[in-house]
Amino acid sequence: MATSIHTLRPLACWKSILRRNRQYKVATRSLTTYHQNVTFAKYQLLPPDAKPEGPKKIKIFPSPPLPSANTKEPLKAFCADQIALLDPTGARTALFSRTNPEAAKVGDILLVRLKGGDPFAGVCINIRRRGVDTGILLRNQLTRVGVEMWYKIYSPNVEGIEVVQRAVKRARRARLTYMRKPKHDVGSVQNLVLAYQRSRSGLRGVAQKEEGLKGGKKKSVRGKKH
Amino acid sequence: MIQLKTMLNCIDNSGAAIVECVNVMKMKRHAKIGDRIIVVVQKQRNFGPESGPGASVSTTAANKVRRGDIRHAVVVRTAKKLQRPDGSVVKFDDNACVLINKAGEPIGTRLNGIVGTELRKMKWSKILSLAPMHL
Repeated sequence: MATSIHTLRPLACWKSILRRNRQYKVATRSLTTYHQNVTFAKYQLLPPDAKPEGPKKIKIFPSPPLPSANTKEPLKAFCADQIALLDPTGARTALFSRTNPEAAKVGDILLVRLKGGDPFAGVCINIRRRGVDTGILLRNQLTRVGVEMWYKIYSPNVEGIEVVQRAVKRARRARLTYMRKPKHDVGSVQNLVLAYQRSRSGLRGVAQKEEGLKGGKKKSVRGKKH
Repeated sequence: MIQLKTMLNCIDNSGAAIVECVNVMKMKRHAKIGDRIIVVVQKQRNFGPESGPGASVSTTAANKVRRGDIRHAVVVRTAKKLQRPDGSVVKFDDNACVLINKAGEPIGTRLNGIVGTELRKMKWSKILSLAPMHL
């Protein structure tokens, strides 16, 4: 029944209660506020040979060996790898190498056989030697319109490159772009290419016949040049 | 690179010989092979002198378009190099187009000249089937 007592307490009672409180206040004012640093005392208790707590030491591992230590020119090595992958026999490389005397040169009429589509033939007017990106620029006239095609020689789309006709004289320029001018344009080389293809197919037919006479059941090796 | 003021050869028998590009449709860039453009016929082809007996047929064919007509066309050859997805690049010696109507059907009935294979990708199979050769 404490609550009922509180509510029923007469207001006159407050004076006596506050008076008592005032006396407490006097007592607290006389109390000391001196504070001893306990934590500091703790440190003093540590043994004198204990190590001070500094920043944590991070373990440093030695870096793994760089691949550049083994290969001086990684790009060159990569290019060589790609060429080996795309041209395992080395025929394409040989066909456009500078050292090979039998190599195709600008001014030659080349035929590019493609995996999906008709072969394209034309006069080679530019060879862009850039490792695996090596490309050739062929020019021809189809339906009396000049057409130029760039082909990458190591492209998987290119099935084979054949030399239809070699230039009579060695070109004294690296790029025969002057052949675009009407004065120097050789025009259509379709007739030459057709004749070449006919002769090739004839040879192939003879070869097949010979093999047939021998009685070999083997598939005739296609007599491609490169 | 077909853009405003480019002069193109018209390779169909609609009667136009040389046309001028006045607009490239559906884009803000220059037109390539297979793109649709709007052209003005600048020069008419005269079928008259060389075709003797079939002159009347030729003239009707020639009358399909006249000088000054504004027509739609499809670019079929460009002198600008165009790289294919397989890395090969094709370049023709001239810029050429084929006139079409607004529905996309060719106005002429036959083409004389090679066209780019990009037309197949751009769904211009009707023009491809008319062309004597494509590359």
